Amino acid sequence: MKQKLLTNAEIIGILLMGFVALITGGWSVVILVVLLGALVGVNVPAQPGAWRRAVLPGLISALAVVLVTVFHNTVIAGLPKQEHIPPASTSFLVYLGSLGLGTAVAVGVAALRSAPDPRVRRFGLLGLLLVCAVAFPFFEQYAQLFWANAIIVAMIFALQALGLNIVAGYAGMLDLGYVAFFAIGGYTIAMLNSPQFNLQISFWLVIWIAAAAAALFGLLLGAPVIPLRGDYLAIVTLGFGEIVPIVFRNLNAVKIAEPLSELAALVFGRPELALCLAGCVEPLNITNGTDGINPIGRPVLPGVAFVTGQYIPWYFLILTLLAVSVFFISRLRRSRMGRAWVAIREDELAANSMGIDLVRTKLAAFMLGAMFSGFAGAFYGSYVSFVSPDAFDFSISVIVLCMVILGGTGSIVGVLLGGFIIKVADLLLLDKLQVVLGGVLQATIFQGIQNQGMQNFLESLFNASQYKLLLFGIILVTMMQFRPQGLVPSTTERGH
Amino acid sequence: MPMLELQDIHAYYGNIHALKGISLTIEKGEIVTLIGANGAGKTTTLRTIQGLIRPRGGSIKLEGEELTKLPAHEVNRRGICQSPEGRLIFPRMSVQENLEMGAFTRTDKDGIARDLERVFSLFPRLKERVRQKGGTLSGGEQQMLAMARAMMGSPRVLLLDEPSMGLAPLLVESIFDTIQALNQQGITILLVEQNARMALGIAHRGYVLQTGEIRLQGDAAKLRDDEEVRKTYLGEG
Ligand SMILES: Nc1ncnc2c1ncn2[C@@H]1O[C@H](COP(=O)(O)OP(=O)(O)O)[C@@H](O)[C@H]1O
Ligand SMILES: [Mg+2]
Repeated sequence: MKQKLLTNAEIIGILLMGFVALITGGWSVVILVVLLGALVGVNVPAQPGAWRRAVLPGLISALAVVLVTVFHNTVIAGLPKQEHIPPASTSFLVYLGSLGLGTAVAVGVAALRSAPDPRVRRFGLLGLLLVCAVAFPFFEQYAQLFWANAIIVAMIFALQALGLNIVAGYAGMLDLGYVAFFAIGGYTIAMLNSPQFNLQISFWLVIWIAAAAAALFGLLLGAPVIPLRGDYLAIVTLGFGEIVPIVFRNLNAVKIAEPLSELAALVFGRPELALCLAGCVEPLNITNGTDGINPIGRPVLPGVAFVTGQYIPWYFLILTLLAVSVFFISRLRRSRMGRAWVAIREDELAANSMGIDLVRTKLAAFMLGAMFSGFAGAFYGSYVSFVSPDAFDFSISVIVLCMVILGGTGSIVGVLLGGFIIKVADLLLLDKLQVVLGGVLQATIFQGIQNQGMQNFLESLFNASQYKLLLFGIILVTMMQFRPQGLVPSTTERGH
Repeated sequence: MPMLELQDIHAYYGNIHALKGISLTIEKGEIVTLIGANGAGKTTTLRTIQGLIRPRGGSIKLEGEELTKLPAHEVNRRGICQSPEGRLIFPRMSVQENLEMGAFTRTDKDGIARDLERVFSLFPRLKERVRQKGGTLSGGEQQMLAMARAMMGSPRVLLLDEPSMGLAPLLVESIFDTIQALNQQGITILLVEQNARMALGIAHRGYVLQTGEIRLQGDAAKLRDDEEVRKTYLGEG
C-alpha cells in the first residue's frame, strides 16, 4: 500500500502551527514544535514500531515550523512597529534544537502510545504531559513570551467548557445563558472577600460557596423549566443569562419596604404608615453597580504570593483545579448518573422507559454544570481582582458553547482542546496578527499613501480582533459542515 | 388475580380521543396479542401502560397494585419492560451498553449477569456483536437488541410493539419463535402486531382494537376462525 508522506491531520496541524509561528516568532518555536510533535505522535497508528513511522513526519513538521520562525525573525521582525524578539532566540542552535525537540516529542509520543504495557502507555503519556505543563510557565517567563495571562484565562474558560459539556454534551440540553452562573460565582467571591462588605472569607472556602450558590440558582432555574419541552430551557436560560448581569448592575441602591404596611400607606394615603425594612436612611449598595467590585481577595497560601503580574502561582492553581475537575468529571461520566445522561441524549423516550427519571437526571446535570461555572467565576474574580456587570455579557455564553462544539460535544479531551484553541486565539493570536498586519501595511501600501485618514481607515479595516465574532461564526459553520462530531469526538460517538 | 389489568382506560393526544375505554386482562404466563389496523391505538395502549402517557380515566393494575398515576420510570421499576415501536435503541452505544441500560434500575449483579447470558443464548447474533454500535446493526438485529434490552429489565410483563415490522419473512418467523421461547421460560407477554396471522398463531388469547375501542376478544384459536377477523385482518375471503 502506498503511504502518504503526511496525513490530513498533520497537514492541518502544520498549517495552524506554521501560522502561529508566522505571527509570533522568537522563542515560541520551542512550544510550537512540542505541540506539533505531540500531534504527529498521536496521529501515528498505535502499533509496534510506530516510533519509526513518526520520525519522518515529525522531522518535516518541525522543520516547517522552524523555517517559518526563521522567516518571522529575519523578515517580519524587521517591519515597523513589531514586538521585540530576544536575540538569544534567533541563534542557529535554537533552530537546530527545536528541530530535534519536535522530532523527539513525535517519536516519544508514538513510542509511548504503542508501548505493550498499558501502564507504560498511561503513565508515560501523563508524565510527559505533566513535564510539559510544569515546564511551560518557567520557560514562558524566561522567554518573555507574555502568554501566561492568556493561558490562565484559557484554562478558566476550559473549566467552564467542561461544565457546559455536562449539560450540553452529556445530557443534551441547550443552555444559552451559561454566563449567568459564571457571574454568580464571580460576584459571590466579590461580596464575601472584598472591602464591599469588609468581609475576608478565605478564598479556599469561598470558591466552594460560589460553586454551591451557582448550583442553587441552577436548581431554582432548572426545576420549573426542565420538565417542560427542551426548547423552553434554551429560551429561559437565554433570558437568565441576560438578566443576571443586569440585576448585578442594578443592585446598587436597594431599599426594601415592608409590603403590608406599604399597601396600608397607599390605601389610607398616609405615607408615614409605611415601614421600611432595609436601606431606609441610605439605599443599600450591594454590588456597586456599573463600577463593579474591586479589589477582590486573593488566595492565601504559606510561602506563595498570589499577586497581579506574578503568573506562576495562578497558573499552577488553575492547572490543579482543572486536573481535579477532569478526574472528577471522567469518573462521573462512567457512573450510573453519567450513563443515564448519555441514554437521555440518545433517546429520551427509551431512557424513560428504562427506568431513568428524566427530570431528576437532567436537573442533576444542569446543576453540576452551573457548579463548574460558579467555580470558574470565583477563580476569575479573584484572579483579575475585579468584577463588573460588563465582564459577563452574552458573548461568553456563546464562546463557551463554541468551545464545546469545536472540541467535540461529550468528549473531555476535545472540550479542553476546543477551549484552549478558541481562547488562545481570542486573547493572543488576534492581537499578534494585528501587529503583524499593521507592520506589513506600513511597509507596503502605506509607502504609497500619504493621506493619514486613509491610512487609519485601512488599519482599522485590517484590525483582526474586530472580526472575532465573525471568526467564531465561520468556525462553527465549518465544523457543523465538515466535522459535526468535533475535533476529538467522544468515545460513544467514534466509529466501532 | 390477573398479572396485568386495564379497566376502562381513556387516553388523549390533546383533543384526540385515542383510547375510548379499553379494558383487558393478561394472566400470568400468557401471551396476549393486541391486533388492529394502523392508527387503531395499539401503541398508545402500550405507552399508557408504561406510564409514558397518563390516562384521563380508568385504572391499570399490576397484580393488584395500582400503576395508573405512576411516572414511566416508576412503572419500569415495578417490572413492566417494553420493546417499543421503532425499536428506539441507543444508536451510539454498543450492544453491550444498550443491554446494560436495560438493566439500569437493577442492583442484583448476579441476576444481571445471568440475564445477559440468557439473552445471548436466545440471540447469539448479539453476542457476536457486543462491541458494535447499536446504530450500525441491521434492522433485524436492532429488533433483537430492543427485545433483549427489555429482557434485561427482568420483566414481570414484557410489552412488544410490532416486533416483526419491516423484517424479512424468514426473520419474522425466527422472531416469533423467540417470543414463544421467552414465554415458555415463564414470561408474561403483551404482543402488539399488525401481522395478525402470526400473532394469533403463538398467542393464547387476543384482542382486536378498532379506532380506540376493543372490538373483539377471545381465545386466539377462536379469533382466527372468526368471520370478521378473517376478512379484515387475515386478508381471507
Ligand atoms: N403523538 C401523537 N400526537 C397526536 N396524535 C397521535 C400521536 N400518536 C398517535 N396519535 C394518534 O392516535 C391514534 C392511535 O395511534 P397509535 O396508538 O400509534 O396507533 P397504532 O399503534 O395502532 O398504529 C392515531 O389516530 C394517531 O394518529
Ligand atoms: Mg403503533
